[in-house]
Amino acid sequence: MNLRLFHRRLAVLMGLAGLVAFSGGAGVEAFSAVLAGAALVAALFWHPDAEFSERLERLWLPLATLLVIRALFHFVVIRDDIVIPVVDLLLLLLSAEALRSLDAPNDLRLYALSFALILASTAYRPGIVFLVAFMAYIGLATVALMVGHLRRRAERHGVQEVPLGREMLTTTGALSAVILMVALVVFVTFPRVSQGWAGRGETMATSIAGFSDQVSIGDHGSTILGNPQIVLRVEFPDSTPDGVGGLHWRGRSYDRFDGVRWTRSSNLPPSSAPTSWYRDRWTGDQIQQRIFGSALDTRVLFALHPVLQIDSDNGVQPLFDNAGDYVYWGSGAPAYTAYSPASLPPADELRVPARGYRPSGDHFLQLPRRLDPRIATLADSLTAGIDNRYDQAIAIRDWLQTFTYTRQLPATAREATLEHFLFDRQAGHCEYFSTAMVVMLRAVGIESRNVNGFLGGQWSGFGNYLVVTQNEAHSWVEAWFPGFGWVTLDPTPAGAGTGEVIASWFWPGRILFDGIQHRWNKWVLDYSVDDQAGIFSSLLGTQTVEQVASSDPTSESGGPSPLAAIAVVLLALVGYMWARGAGPAYDPSTRMYVNLRAASASAGIGVGPGTTPLGLVKRIRAERSAAGRPAERVVDLYLRARYGNEALGDSDLREMGEALKAARRTLRTSK
Amino acid sequence: MTGSPDPAIGHVDQVRWSATRAPAIALAGLRSAWRRLRAWRRIRFTSGGFAFTAGTMAVGFAAMNTGNNLLYLLLGSMLGFITVSGWLSEQAIRGLRIERRAPRAVTVGHDFRLTYEVTNAKKRLPSLAVELSEVGLPEMAFLAHVPPNGQTTTRSINSFIQRGIYPLGTVTLSTGFPFGMFRKERDVEIPDEIIVWPRTDRPVREPSPGAGRTPRTGVSARGAAGSRGEYRSLRGYQAGDDSRDIHWKSSARLREPVIREYERDGAETRWICLDLRAEPGEAAEVAVEVAASLVARAMAQQRPFALVAGDHVLEPGDGSGQLERALDALAHVDFTPDASAPAPPVSPAACILVSVGGRSGFGDTLVIGEDARMRRDEVAA
Repeated sequence: MNLRLFHRRLAVLMGLAGLVAFSGGAGVEAFSAVLAGAALVAALFWHPDAEFSERLERLWLPLATLLVIRALFHFVVIRDDIVIPVVDLLLLLLSAEALRSLDAPNDLRLYALSFALILASTAYRPGIVFLVAFMAYIGLATVALMVGHLRRRAERHGVQEVPLGREMLTTTGALSAVILMVALVVFVTFPRVSQGWAGRGETMATSIAGFSDQVSIGDHGSTILGNPQIVLRVEFPDSTPDGVGGLHWRGRSYDRFDGVRWTRSSNLPPSSAPTSWYRDRWTGDQIQQRIFGSALDTRVLFALHPVLQIDSDNGVQPLFDNAGDYVYWGSGAPAYTAYSPASLPPADELRVPARGYRPSGDHFLQLPRRLDPRIATLADSLTAGIDNRYDQAIAIRDWLQTFTYTRQLPATAREATLEHFLFDRQAGHCEYFSTAMVVMLRAVGIESRNVNGFLGGQWSGFGNYLVVTQNEAHSWVEAWFPGFGWVTLDPTPAGAGTGEVIASWFWPGRILFDGIQHRWNKWVLDYSVDDQAGIFSSLLGTQTVEQVASSDPTSESGGPSPLAAIAVVLLALVGYMWARGAGPAYDPSTRMYVNLRAASASAGIGVGPGTTPLGLVKRIRAERSAAGRPAERVVDLYLRARYGNEALGDSDLREMGEALKAARRTLRTSK
Repeated sequence: MTGSPDPAIGHVDQVRWSATRAPAIALAGLRSAWRRLRAWRRIRFTSGGFAFTAGTMAVGFAAMNTGNNLLYLLLGSMLGFITVSGWLSEQAIRGLRIERRAPRAVTVGHDFRLTYEVTNAKKRLPSLAVELSEVGLPEMAFLAHVPPNGQTTTRSINSFIQRGIYPLGTVTLSTGFPFGMFRKERDVEIPDEIIVWPRTDRPVREPSPGAGRTPRTGVSARGAAGSRGEYRSLRGYQAGDDSRDIHWKSSARLREPVIREYERDGAETRWICLDLRAEPGEAAEVAVEVAASLVARAMAQQRPFALVAGDHVLEPGDGSGQLERALDALAHVDFTPDASAPAPPVSPAACILVSVGGRSGFGDTLVIGEDARMRRDEVAA
């Protein structure tokens, strides 16, 4: 194949890889992506002649100008994200360069534009598609850069044919594996000194219902219906708790209900139950959860209630708000580790008559002004004769659990009311159940609130983690128990989070894909200094900072560090390479002649690059007459071997060696 | 002078341990190490390599500032490219044995070829896109591909702009392979030299030395040894001798080529004297070229000629061998105001003098005047 054509195709393929990488990460406008993709594919098979190429350029210029104006408009007037308009411009330029005549010397521009696409996609949180496209890009770039270099040098020297066999191309392509290995080593070992203060790291935020500042009780069900978007991946580093399907991944709480909507009061006093408060009271086993969240439009950190400790794993900053919810500051998808109690306090302890602090009744005993009086009556009847909060709450919960769970929404506005749910329909989704329970608890004087989050999830055997999708969005109740704080109660009967998705034919494939995606997120996108320390600790057999802190300071360190051994091996390798490559390989006569020159120079005889062999003899004679004869013999034999095409025998070489030795000796000791 | 008390004279042990000389020795050692290192390998940035390295640093900086792991991945890949580039370029230039074939002599301004026979001693890896260059010569030879355990020949075409003895020493192997980001270079020492003859095509008027028979003195009292007169003697073959003059019987007996020399009439011999008493420079070079043109013309006219340049006397002779000897001599001459006056073994009146300043007493004098200093193609007579 024509080298020029082959090289152009490789460069165009690099552009396609860049396009896929960016599309797989940030996504581009479909129109631009399709046009650019079509242009690049066309450039693989069709190359205009120089004249047509010039005509095409007349088309590109106004289009590029329009895109520049558009980008400026986005940046200056709309103050919107400029990346997508700029990427559109990049795609146009890439297409234009790809469709130029083969004679155009635009290799570097093609490289630069495709690289710019790769670079731009790193500004987001691209998925596994990026990895595939990136590896393809590296492979293509390795071959393209090599072929391009050979092509340019051959053209510069007027060489028509460059033997570039398939085997050689394959070998060069395989070098991309070496490049990726180096990339991996650098990636793993390069010190992470930043926590990402200037990071962009965002991806298109997934819109998620049920976590904004207000939630209508009729809204939630519509969004959870058949929505398999993965929102959380949860690992349990210590041990996987029993019944992961029943875990409540708490998100946001709502204290104010107006009969239709739940809202969050803006005037809540600072939370009376901070993390440390729970730590003192909920003793016992803990569940460690390593949570990888998706980028959502609501910056909520989900975890099991109550959170005893929460640590960021990727630079986001957890914040504890007045409602006791965890939100975060920072960009991108959060990755964090949370610790929560493994179980609720024993029922007997919760049954103990209430003593201690209670939160503000203005917020957590609030009821709608036009609440149907039948609801309070119902609550009273359900809790009649029960003298403690726990049993009262359980009575209400159990009664609600006799209802039917359905995600079918009420047909009319009247049917969407709470009273219709309680007294007529007696079926609904979790939002109705939790709202009904909170209202009834408040009606009997128990501080409570509505909480949204996710229930359960699907266990991924490929990666051992819990996959939580939007399908598992859920509402439940938190009631206040003095001495213990907010306790989770879920009145929704079994049926929430049905197995529709699991039963679908694509779910196993999706789980597998998500496992890869999860590893990508965990080990690449969210790789942190802690992961780095962990890897080094395990490799070197040393202790992490925490281990060191807890270890006995008097214990001795064990033996030489493996790092030192690696350093020694590397040094030896460098030394070997030096020794192998040191100095040009001379034939014996030339080597002896070169040694004579060196000896002469050391003896102070002016030997420059322009000194010829006979000139050297002349100078030696002039300045060290005693060394003249042996030097002459060395040069004579050298000239015979070098220019007389005479093969020197062993005796000649021996004689030459003796003469050199004599010349050296004399040069050293005489003047 | 063994055992000299003066360390400067060169008693190695004394020099080695002399405290006062230690810094100088250390410096010399460092210089030597540096020279060795430079000869071993040199790396230069190409413009693309400079941009790539700057880009790598920028990506590294961005990665550290943002903590964006994908930028670390990109940084690693870019460093990977640099690493592979360094390794492959090393493989391209190592294990190559170079043999240079250079002409013995070339003429100023004429193209000449340097041919390189390159053997790749590596067992598995080919060498690709290697360039070979000589110090001071602009054009390089290019090796697109040398297969493992294979041999390839390549050449470069250059020309010299000044006569003299041009030493060929270091052949530099360089390559930008595989990505053209960096040029790695390695020096191979192959000492050689090329004699660069002055040009012989300068337009010069026909000289008219003194008429009549030339009184013969000394060695030149003999007629010119040439191929067109009476037989004079046998001598060993010299480069440029006409092969028709080889005396085969004697050659067979002596096992080396022997040439017949012929006696020619001394009056036909053109004596060309070059006056070296001048400052080196443009005019002096013009004088050399005029002298070279005169000997070339004599050769073309098939007449014997002799050359006197300062102390050096080239005996009368003719043929291409004589021309080469004359041009060799002219390639070597040095001008200096203190040089000896040309002393031909014949009467100066029978000689043509080529001089920068002009001298009297010769049969004809070609004077390289001030004008000639400015315009080399024009000769003032």
